[in-house]
Amino acid sequence: MTKTLLACLLAAGTVAAHAEATTYAIDPSHTFVTFEANHMGTSTLRGRFDKKEGSVVLDKAAKSGKAEITIDATSIDTGVAALDTHLKSKDFFNAAEFGTAKFTADKFAFTGDKVSEVVGTLTLLGKTQPVTLKASNFNCYVNPMLKREVCGGDFETTITRTQYGMSYGLAYGLPDNIHLLIQIEAVKQ
Amino acid sequence: MFGAHCALLALLAGAAVSTVQAAPQEFAIDPAHTHVHWEIKHFGTSTSRGRFDAVSGGITLDRAARSGSASLTIATGSISTGFAPFDGLLRGPYLLSTTEFPSAYFVAQRFSFDGDKLSAVTGDFTLRNVGKTLTLRALNFACRQDTEPAREVCGGDFETEFERSAFGITHSLPFVADRVRVLIQIEAVRQ
Repeated sequence: MTKTLLACLLAAGTVAAHAEATTYAIDPSHTFVTFEANHMGTSTLRGRFDKKEGSVVLDKAAKSGKAEITIDATSIDTGVAALDTHLKSKDFFNAAEFGTAKFTADKFAFTGDKVSEVVGTLTLLGKTQPVTLKASNFNCYVNPMLKREVCGGDFETTITRTQYGMSYGLAYGLPDNIHLLIQIEAVKQ
Repeated sequence: MFGAHCALLALLAGAAVSTVQAAPQEFAIDPAHTHVHWEIKHFGTSTSRGRFDAVSGGITLDRAARSGSASLTIATGSISTGFAPFDGLLRGPYLLSTTEFPSAYFVAQRFSFDGDKLSAVTGDFTLRNVGKTLTLRALNFACRQDTEPAREVCGGDFETEFERSAFGITHSLPFVADRVRVLIQIEAVRQ
């Protein structure tokens, strides 16, 4: 009897937790991947990817989540056209062959009610490597224009580009470590 | 003897002064490595970023005298967020009014040094025809000798914050924050 009750409660609990899982679609106007790279020991060069799509599944009760974001490698934008062309070439992103980069995550860590870390993989130049994004400012709010819940925040990580086979310019002093600053907002579906 | 000593001292002092006076060097902004980036909080949640792509100007640096001056012109219409409708809104009358105010300016006469290292630059920032004193903190300031082409390049990262309402830009407050963080990449080539 007790066992059956426990099983029923567990089953109910599982159902409830599943019911909390909500899908959010990436808001492309408030979702950007910006990279920072030190330039020849002097200044910091920045660029971003303008086109991306994806979704996030968040279960606030179960404190779990999933994310899948696809980044269009051809949409790289540094504000300098000649540099964008070089970055899209085989020396760097080889965008003709590898048109997209993909971030997939299935482990969300929480501190209290806030997402604190997202653990997943980044596929770039056809190579997949583990990546952990550190979250700051995670928050959900009701957007008055959309009249829907929006969740998001700032995320950052540092990747080592040679792990993906991108080694151009190391000998000239271009860095191997690239800092990524990621803005994400996603709208409840 | 005493007179000759004094004359020698005077000569040395004069040489020292002229060395310092001879030291100011002119640098021209390298537009490929000079960008004004900004960050602003959106609904207390994520950080929206954008940049101005067209920045021109020059810098005078006197490393011996630890002084300098800078004059930067930022084309407000060159704003780029990666999302065209935002760029249109930002250029419009509610925000930057880029037709009426096509340029923002930063003119600095005070360079502060920490030892040999440039630590801060203070000047007048003009946006939408409103001028305010602004101090940029210098990070990573360094000079390097490029070989191809052979030239000296000085530059670094500079950052500051200001309240956009101080320049009359109040649209979307408080959903989009008042505080703007500015990150400036500058590289300049010795002339």
